[in-house]
Amino acid sequence: MNNLSRIFHKAIKVLSAILLTIYLTGSSFVEKDIFPEAGSMPVYGNWETFTRKDGLPADKAYCVRMDGDRVLVGTSAGLAVYENDEWRTYTVEDGLAHPGVLSIDVSELTGDVWIGTLGGLNRWSAGRFETFTQFNSGLANDVIYSVICDGKDVWVATGGGAGHYNTYTREWGIYTERNAPMHEPWTYGVCAGDKKIFIAAWGGGVIEYNTETEHFRDYIDPDGEMEIDLFADDGVVHDITTGVSHADGILWVATYFGLSRYDGAHWKGYFDHDSGLISNFINFLKADGPVVYLCTDLGLCGFNGETWVTYQRNENDKKGKILITNGSETKKLVASTSISHNFVIGVDFQGDEIWLATSKGVCRGERVK
Amino acid sequence: MKFTHYALVSTLVILFSVLELSGQEEKLNYGNTTDELVPYGRFQKAHKNFFDDNQLFTGAGREKVPPTDLTEVRIGLLGPLEGSILSPQGNQMLQGAILAMEEANKKGGYNGIPFRILPHNDVGLWGAAANEVVKMNDEKVWAFIGTIDDINTHVALRVALKLELPMVNTGDPDPTLTETRIPWMIRCIADDRQSSYALVNYVYRQKGHSRIAVLRANNRYGRVGIMEFRDAALRYGYPLVLEIRYNDGETSFTTQIERMIKSSPDAVVLWGNAKETALILNQMREMGMDQPVYGCDRLMSPVFLEIAGKEAEGVVTTCQYNPTLDIPNLIAFNRNYEKRFGLEPDVFAAHAYDGMNIIIDAIRIAGLNRALMRDVMTDMKTFQGYQGVTGEIIFDASWNDIGSIWMTEVRDGKFEFFPPPPLTSEVSMTIKQ
Repeated sequence: MNNLSRIFHKAIKVLSAILLTIYLTGSSFVEKDIFPEAGSMPVYGNWETFTRKDGLPADKAYCVRMDGDRVLVGTSAGLAVYENDEWRTYTVEDGLAHPGVLSIDVSELTGDVWIGTLGGLNRWSAGRFETFTQFNSGLANDVIYSVICDGKDVWVATGGGAGHYNTYTREWGIYTERNAPMHEPWTYGVCAGDKKIFIAAWGGGVIEYNTETEHFRDYIDPDGEMEIDLFADDGVVHDITTGVSHADGILWVATYFGLSRYDGAHWKGYFDHDSGLISNFINFLKADGPVVYLCTDLGLCGFNGETWVTYQRNENDKKGKILITNGSETKKLVASTSISHNFVIGVDFQGDEIWLATSKGVCRGERVK
Repeated sequence: MKFTHYALVSTLVILFSVLELSGQEEKLNYGNTTDELVPYGRFQKAHKNFFDDNQLFTGAGREKVPPTDLTEVRIGLLGPLEGSILSPQGNQMLQGAILAMEEANKKGGYNGIPFRILPHNDVGLWGAAANEVVKMNDEKVWAFIGTIDDINTHVALRVALKLELPMVNTGDPDPTLTETRIPWMIRCIADDRQSSYALVNYVYRQKGHSRIAVLRANNRYGRVGIMEFRDAALRYGYPLVLEIRYNDGETSFTTQIERMIKSSPDAVVLWGNAKETALILNQMREMGMDQPVYGCDRLMSPVFLEIAGKEAEGVVTTCQYNPTLDIPNLIAFNRNYEKRFGLEPDVFAAHAYDGMNIIIDAIRIAGLNRALMRDVMTDMKTFQGYQGVTGEIIFDASWNDIGSIWMTEVRDGKFEFFPPPPLTSEVSMTIKQ
């Protein structure tokens, strides 16, 4: 029995070692081979999907935010927190302003979690949810599409304008077409970078607010027409903007019409017909260093200004599809694992992990090295 | 024989080529835009045209199983129902939808389950439309109609996308509304682009005016509404001689009219609501302006006739449908509406009636699943060419109704309807590739 037991344990160890080796090298037959084309672009694999069956309150996830050892996910039915391999849900009964959680950010100063919902803004601090709405605060509207923390300041993009909350003085500011060059009152995205706040204003392009000079400037589509982009690379590709992200001195702008990149001097536009962008319909984006991740309706795109890496799910065989595009050359690869759904709505990354919020579940990918 | 054969073939080739060329000249661009009116079309081919195709919805949801315990099928309606200068139109919109719902319920509702409209007022707190659409979603509506005001409709649309809630717009003619690529909304009312093209063609080409002054409402309706008129006039070679504004609720327009007089226009275009534009017309005449007056569809209202009185004679407007057509379903609608609500239906009632019927039909075809309802509403087949009481609905790639537009002229105190002259291009295009 002892011998049998030893043999059995030995076999288990060998099998575990094989599995671990496969796991660490990307688990699939493909991902090792994709490095040459991807260049400096990180490549993710070993996708793991989480749905209601795994403890999420809903399959539809709007946003994801990584915060140290935990992952915060905004779903259509509450806030889900993944920690120690377990999901825990927070809903209206716990103090959430609305079950529909559209955006999440974490304050680096305090660790407070700010949650934008379909029915107001929450501050989750020390286990308690504090709710801000149009009735009890200076919020412009209760539908909070985007929230970010920038030092002591919290910025929101709402259905009725952008908002600013100074957590020290507890003062609110509202920015609409009445006091900012917005053209329209509604806003959908906000980000911070280089002592500036960038606001994606639906129909108003991008609004830049300089936090030092308190001056605004706007970036709009130079051709002024909704149905066309007249010239390539002449400015933001469309005035209807859905998201902004700033990193490495580059401003990235998402629209439902394509992607724009601004380095402070020059604009560059990207469409599905003239680049590796998989779809012009971009729900959200987030940049990290030189790389931007684009949540589109046809999958996740990573882009560093040169190389595109796109992750898709083949619904027929549930396998992953990876497209690597350099210039006009695209290499198509099949992966053993895939993102949870091609309609990607949110993304976040930390270390070697990336998380996606999608139309059907959230998923975690690991950087393949 | 051989020569005859070649001659015949050559002639046919030439003829077909000519026919083909003629066909290309007749073909309209996005939004029924003639070559002459294409933005920058004389000088530059656009790097990207955004509305050559439909935006697909690739998200999940089609697999959702319909509930089995429903006692009513809820449909939302977002409109200016109280506290707005647009409330009369908002209530007409609601009543048009109610009539469609009641008729559907008489026919058994949806599999024996009655339809019910949940009305929501879009006037209130700043950005109320966003909050109200969220409430509708919480009330578990399957789709909604809304609204009239441009800003509120845009706000509602963006929430509809997040909630994946089908939306049918029946009252906002803002051209930019469907130029958002959000695949959850269709619009079954012609927009201000169509109205502007008809009006520009009529004013400049048919009537031969060349100096047009515009007095418009100082709100988004006025700003965005006149945009296509201004651009089209410019592309015809006639920049506006003046464009000035007034605020809703103003009653004295002396300053604006003095400025118009100084600009020496040969005609005036008014773009705003019926009450203010009627007051403007009266004061123009009092101050000696006898130029022809043209206007947007909102002038086509009993309120305009009542306030303007005899001064309304000869005023020409656009209208998104012709309520006097001898079409059986329109006649029945007019009769039933008047019987049910005690007043004549207006343009908002008629289009809401069509919009609600489209939603009801979509539910009957697709079942109670929002994504599947969306699919049939946007498939460019099921409702393409839909014969509503407002006429034939033709959707373009942005799901905007580019069906026929009408014009009216006030004659003997009544709006007389007539089709607009066909749009033509008077210049040949040489587009830089």
